[in-house]
Amino acid sequence: MVNLTIDEKQVEVKEGTTVLNAARQAGIEIPTLCDHPELTPYGGCRLCLVEIEGAKTLQPSCTMPASNNMVVKTDTEKIREARKFILTMIFSERNHFCPYCQVSGGDCELQNSAYAEGMTHWPIQPNWKPYPVDASHPYIVLEHNRCILCRRCVRACGELVGNFTLGFEERGAESALVADLGLPLGDSSCISCGTCVQVCPTGALIDRWSAYLGKEIDVETTNTICLGCSIGCSINVLTRDNRLVRIEGDWDGEINDGVICDVGRFHPMNEDRDRVLTPMVRKGGALKAATWDDALAVINEKAKASKGKIAGVVSTRLSLEALDTFNQVCHELGVTAVSSTEEGRSISQAFSVLVKNSKPFEAKFNDIKDADCYLTVGEDITKDHQVVSFFVKRNLPGGAKLIQVSSAATGLDNFANFSLHVADDKIAGFLKDFSDSVRSGADYAKVATKYSLDEKFLEEAGSAVKSAAKLAVIVGSRYESADSSSIEEAAASFTFGLKGKLVSTKGNINSLGASQLKVNNPVSVSGAEIVLLVAGDERLTQVQMKKFEKVPFLVVFSSYSTPLTASADVVLPVMNWMEQSGHFLNFDGHLLEARASLKADENVFSNVDAFGKLAEKLNIKISSTWESALNAPSVVEISK
Amino acid sequence: MAKPKVASDWLAGCAGCHMSFLDIDERIVKLVELVDLRATPITDLKEPDEEGVVVGILEGGINNTTNERVAKQMRKRSKILVALGDCAVFGGVPAMRNFFTLEETLRRAYVETPSTDSSGKIPSSPELAVPTRVRALSEVVQVDVFIPGCPPDADIIFFALSELAQGRIPKLENNNLMWN
Repeated sequence: MVNLTIDEKQVEVKEGTTVLNAARQAGIEIPTLCDHPELTPYGGCRLCLVEIEGAKTLQPSCTMPASNNMVVKTDTEKIREARKFILTMIFSERNHFCPYCQVSGGDCELQNSAYAEGMTHWPIQPNWKPYPVDASHPYIVLEHNRCILCRRCVRACGELVGNFTLGFEERGAESALVADLGLPLGDSSCISCGTCVQVCPTGALIDRWSAYLGKEIDVETTNTICLGCSIGCSINVLTRDNRLVRIEGDWDGEINDGVICDVGRFHPMNEDRDRVLTPMVRKGGALKAATWDDALAVINEKAKASKGKIAGVVSTRLSLEALDTFNQVCHELGVTAVSSTEEGRSISQAFSVLVKNSKPFEAKFNDIKDADCYLTVGEDITKDHQVVSFFVKRNLPGGAKLIQVSSAATGLDNFANFSLHVADDKIAGFLKDFSDSVRSGADYAKVATKYSLDEKFLEEAGSAVKSAAKLAVIVGSRYESADSSSIEEAAASFTFGLKGKLVSTKGNINSLGASQLKVNNPVSVSGAEIVLLVAGDERLTQVQMKKFEKVPFLVVFSSYSTPLTASADVVLPVMNWMEQSGHFLNFDGHLLEARASLKADENVFSNVDAFGKLAEKLNIKISSTWESALNAPSVVEISK
Repeated sequence: MAKPKVASDWLAGCAGCHMSFLDIDERIVKLVELVDLRATPITDLKEPDEEGVVVGILEGGINNTTNERVAKQMRKRSKILVALGDCAVFGGVPAMRNFFTLEETLRRAYVETPSTDSSGKIPSSPELAVPTRVRALSEVVQVDVFIPGCPPDADIIFFALSELAQGRIPKLENNNLMWN
């Protein structure tokens, strides 16, 4: 531990702590612009200058390590003058006129710093040099005129996302943020995660979808989770007057540590489907608006006549509460197996392994965040479950190795040390042969020939696996044509044979929850006279929708108008993910709670309430039993 | 003791700051109890008293020779010169044109706008003020009090004026400090 004095306050901090962080721990605020708690210190803006006894000049506190008996002053006249001068220089460097800037009035850290110093004006005018504006990106505008060269975005892109798209070119006043080697942002390797926008202290990087919709002080913030995939990233949903303004990553989020991807940040802003706002019933060939009561009465009548020939299909984007309620309704109606929109792909295969192991065998996400060797199989994590790839990619510059086993080229090819392309139907066999070679250190030639791979390359990959202190295997389920359970089993054997950690990405946010509640059977609607399909707000694929084309009587619970609702016989409007609360089990077994951030239209019900109304009409009693999902045997330990 | 004289004028601004001043509503009655409101764009008197005023207030930046003359006259005739609003303090919205050459902006305004027909031309007459680069008030004359804001809130203007009326230099901080 290190003892120092800051503003006459005795402070004890861990060795290696910066003076800035020591001050923060003591509750002393030092203004900064380039510093960000999630990024490595850079010392670029000089706003955090402090007086240190014995030092000739003011020192930047963000890069200065605290040392024993250091005496620091953070609020002297000399420091205040220096801060004002620094801010003046920053303001006069480019175009920092507040009245026509998006972030002015609360969201700008530069403006707030000037306020904090009591600056009523700046004494030096800018030199009026115009810089370009890059509006080539679908979600982000890069306004060079507002840039203060703090490089937070560059550090976030590299350190947090591991993408290294952003960098700087030129020197001094000519310094410019560039994507790749000077490409327009929209044509660059940017993956649109928007982390750079979230850390930008000024209006240099703005989110064009939320621009001018409201400032931090105008909006309400709801801390909830993203339902975009099975990770369940912690997010803050910013709303104003019951309209979505912006979505930000929650820095305190246990699972995602603040980073989110384009699916979480921008896709909800870009929602282009029309809402279903009233129940509809098909009459004389056309869908006509109806009351909930009338629509449910039609279902009731049909259900009575169908003699149990009913099928229930439910989206795994629904909460545990909703899945449980729907399951009960279906069981009372005599439905044998409730299936999920995922067609049972994501968990069932893992279950065959579970049966053999009989206790949780998958690792937690946190367990693999610091691995030094990753092997991915069965999924392009730069496309699905992207945040997993952020944590993998950010470890690569530190020496972690990445081996990818896939049948086709993926976004990981640019990052992987070893991309091993093996056909889907041969992956299971390859994993077995590869692990044999890794363990014995022999037969690489044979394996390489068998799977048409380069022997030397394969051997290098093998030795990377063998020398790994912490091996993590990330397995997905996106196979075009293969028995995925055999791949999953092979991946599990590979991992455990080499004492690694296994994480399967699963599919949707509640895929694990659905399997825990046993509503994850493969979709089968043949022979059913009525199909109750709960699409919720899920975007079903063409293949998924095709399964319901020939259903005699289709009931769709949906938030949005889709080709499916157009062909349905009864459509019931339900809330989207932002309008309802509920619990979810994410891919590594965390019980997560989503909180509603928006109010739905009066005729639109939550899934739970919609199923409740249906149950009431059908004279079915339901009770809350969703917590049974937490106690059922699971592939991964459930964290309540 | 005689009430302190106050005069104001507007330069390259949008009159919004004076509108915001009028937004102090009935408090203006209180204000005229404390000060003698002289020449302003919204009173009959158009030039500040030759013998001088205590407080001179200017809205807007300086974008031509006339504004320059008005600013210098106000400076000369007032004890305390106040820059009111972002244009007077920083240059503000009109200063956007400084990122282009003067000729470019004039051509854009008089020749290239979609509503200009082929006869569009840049006006030039010895009677017209000569346009210049847009400058903050403090670039041309010495300013004593800066009240930023686009426009400054009526409450901020009232606070500043009542401080000045009572012989104090207003100190803008916390909620009273807004650059917009």
